Amino acid sequence: MDPYLRLTDVTKSFPGVQALTGVNVSAYAGEALALMGANGAGKSTLMNILGGVTMADSGDIRIDGKVAHFRDPKEAARHGIAFIHQEMALLPTMTVAENMFITRFPSRGGLIDRASIEVASSKVLQQLGCAIPTRTKVRDLSPGECQIVEIGRALLSKARIIIFDEPTSSLTAREKDQLFRVIESLKKEGKVIIYITHFLDEIFQICDQAVILRNGEVVGGGRLKDLTRSEIVTLMIGAEGTSVTSISRGKVSSDPVLRVSGLARSGVLDDINFTLHSGEILALWGLLGSGRTELARALVGLDPIDSGHIEIKTNGKLHSVSQRQTKQWIGMVTENRREEGLLLPCSVRENLSLANLNALISRVWPFLDRKKETRIGVELVERLNIKIHDSEQAVKTLSGGNQQKVVLGRWIQRSPRIFIMDEPTRGLDVGAKAEIRKIVNELAAGGMAVLLISSEIEDLLELADRYLVLSRGRIVAEKPAGSTRNELIASAADDSLI
Amino acid sequence: MAPPKNVAKRMGAQDFFFTYGFLVIMFVVIALYSVTAPHFLSLPNFMAILQTAAPLLIIASGLALVIMTGKIDMSIGSMAFLSCCVCLKLINQMHLPILTSVALMLACGTLLGMVNGCIVVFLRVNPLITTLGTLIAFRGVALQLSNSQTVGLPDSLRAFGNMRIGPVFVTVIIATVVLVIMHLVHTRLSFGRDMTALGNGEEVASRLGVRVRGVTFWAFTLSGFFAALCGLVAMCQVGSLNPGIGNGMEFTAVAAVIIGGISLFGGEGTIIPGVILGACTLAIIENGLNLLSASSYAYPFVRGLVIFLAMYADSLKYRVRSKRRTIDASLESVA
Repeated sequence: MDPYLRLTDVTKSFPGVQALTGVNVSAYAGEALALMGANGAGKSTLMNILGGVTMADSGDIRIDGKVAHFRDPKEAARHGIAFIHQEMALLPTMTVAENMFITRFPSRGGLIDRASIEVASSKVLQQLGCAIPTRTKVRDLSPGECQIVEIGRALLSKARIIIFDEPTSSLTAREKDQLFRVIESLKKEGKVIIYITHFLDEIFQICDQAVILRNGEVVGGGRLKDLTRSEIVTLMIGAEGTSVTSISRGKVSSDPVLRVSGLARSGVLDDINFTLHSGEILALWGLLGSGRTELARALVGLDPIDSGHIEIKTNGKLHSVSQRQTKQWIGMVTENRREEGLLLPCSVRENLSLANLNALISRVWPFLDRKKETRIGVELVERLNIKIHDSEQAVKTLSGGNQQKVVLGRWIQRSPRIFIMDEPTRGLDVGAKAEIRKIVNELAAGGMAVLLISSEIEDLLELADRYLVLSRGRIVAEKPAGSTRNELIASAADDSLI
Repeated sequence: MAPPKNVAKRMGAQDFFFTYGFLVIMFVVIALYSVTAPHFLSLPNFMAILQTAAPLLIIASGLALVIMTGKIDMSIGSMAFLSCCVCLKLINQMHLPILTSVALMLACGTLLGMVNGCIVVFLRVNPLITTLGTLIAFRGVALQLSNSQTVGLPDSLRAFGNMRIGPVFVTVIIATVVLVIMHLVHTRLSFGRDMTALGNGEEVASRLGVRVRGVTFWAFTLSGFFAALCGLVAMCQVGSLNPGIGNGMEFTAVAAVIIGGISLFGGEGTIIPGVILGACTLAIIENGLNLLSASSYAYPFVRGLVIFLAMYADSLKYRVRSKRRTIDASLESVA
């Protein structure tokens, strides 16, 4: 069988970066192709070329055997290519039907024929196994339903090739199942699916073929039946970087830097007691809603507390401090780095110095010492291996992993005694996760105390020296390093039956 | 996947309250005036209110479309005034026929709107800054043209301003026609839907293939046309051209639009009933103050208060929505 879509020898370079080198990809009708690779491997560039957003320097695209050239997204759409972006392209204040027909409303007597768009869109939604009323405004839909609307729009435009970019990142388990059913039915109709994700499970569940990119080149691929997880991971991140806990930390000291006693907030946290030692990585483990994030927020004064003491080591002894003061010693990496942690349009330099501006004021006059700021910035970029071509580059242009490193770098600069990290690896690819873990490990080895919250159990298993298991706002158990995945899951599940 | 029934229902009530909360206020005001002002509840007074509201209804429908794209046009009052000056210049000094002058006046307003559109679209200047600039500039040109003097209108135009068909003023009929047409443009033309799409975010809209620049340009152009029409109606009603025409009109119109539930953030609201509700609320409040022979200094204060309330309601609506979304998201994740 001939592939429906064939990319041959596609090459693309940006100033200073060779994004793609001689990439060959084939996709067949009725199959899903997984496109994998670490951040910066060239997935986005490749898909942008296919979606008409950018043009390749050389190489060609053949659809159904015919060479196709796209200069803009509309031309790609005319060739039957639909791109379902990670950030959805929807109009929240408009109805489902309007969203599906926005650029090609059928008209009757000069006016939009509302009856026919509603009939057509509800037919497509039904075909997708979904009964969303077509007059609902999109802002009242759940993320899963929004995605269905986007897929519906792709079908209405008679798309033959549908590209999904991280489609499950904001979906619940139930919505994910439904999405997979929809993708299965699209495959049965003979569509070509291109599926981009970080989640290996999903690929084995839904895809038939895989192509793995690294540094802009195809490093492997084939039928998923013939591939194993570890093969794919190895291909994605290469030989280096696979060993995560390469830096062995010495034994954790018994030198307490933070002691929390009787911390409580009505309905959220209940009698929290623990001690954190220097050089220790203490994991807060529990299901979503167990109070992990709430505890972290209470420690840095983001949420009020009803009672309890926080003691932090200053001048060699533990001293009781108020919630508001803790920020002086605690660095906090929040779970929403894009919304809470970074000034996206600003440069890497400005983002790095943001939490430490007071220390950067020149001794001569009350202004920032720009040289010092730049120097410290460059040092951090090197130390954390942040991949940028210039420290004036805007943070929004960085990949997720590099953005997270900027957030970490900002706090490292202040050398806090205690670091709270809430989901530091969320949304990152395998390679970037490994690098973030490495940084966390180094910080702890340097004597910093780390309070780690993560839904990625691998993070915890590799990093934690001790676990506090939280459930319904209480610490229900403490587990030593070396606990297994099953033990942890059992301990979190134990108490959640009440 | 559908949200539980009761949740959906409560949202509906909340949405209704935030969108048409001023309906409640309007009824309260009407009730209050009915008791305190003796002639408030009468057909002639009702017609007078509509007569006062007519220019506002016209200019606000044009502005509403611009606001629905998520932008703003602050120069509408000046465009109205400048068009009027051009019209009288044509009649009194060039001695053109009145109908021709009126047609040219409307063309002038359209042209001024295009100027705004060009600056915003081609020079990519922020719409607020652009139209604040042209607000001052257009008024300057107009004052130069008219020497800041009050000029009487020809009898035919003056008569037109107070002409009635039955009990209804012709200007009110014009306003009604404008409202109906603009409502259809907004809800039933691709152009109108494109404008709403723009208000949802230009990036998303352009990714979907909406011609962002074209739509923006024509929105400003329409706003200019309706500003000129508003100027014509207002001038005929007053019976003279004076520097007060269109002065501060932009703020009243913005207030009317927001009171009518059209969000300054763009993408939301309706011409019917939105703009009607907004403009009539303002007209009723002023009419009542008038009947109560309140101090003329009370008008700006009351109007300011109403504008503040409307803005506050708009921001409240925005906040409650985003809060509600977070709550929904957490409910979803718990489930």
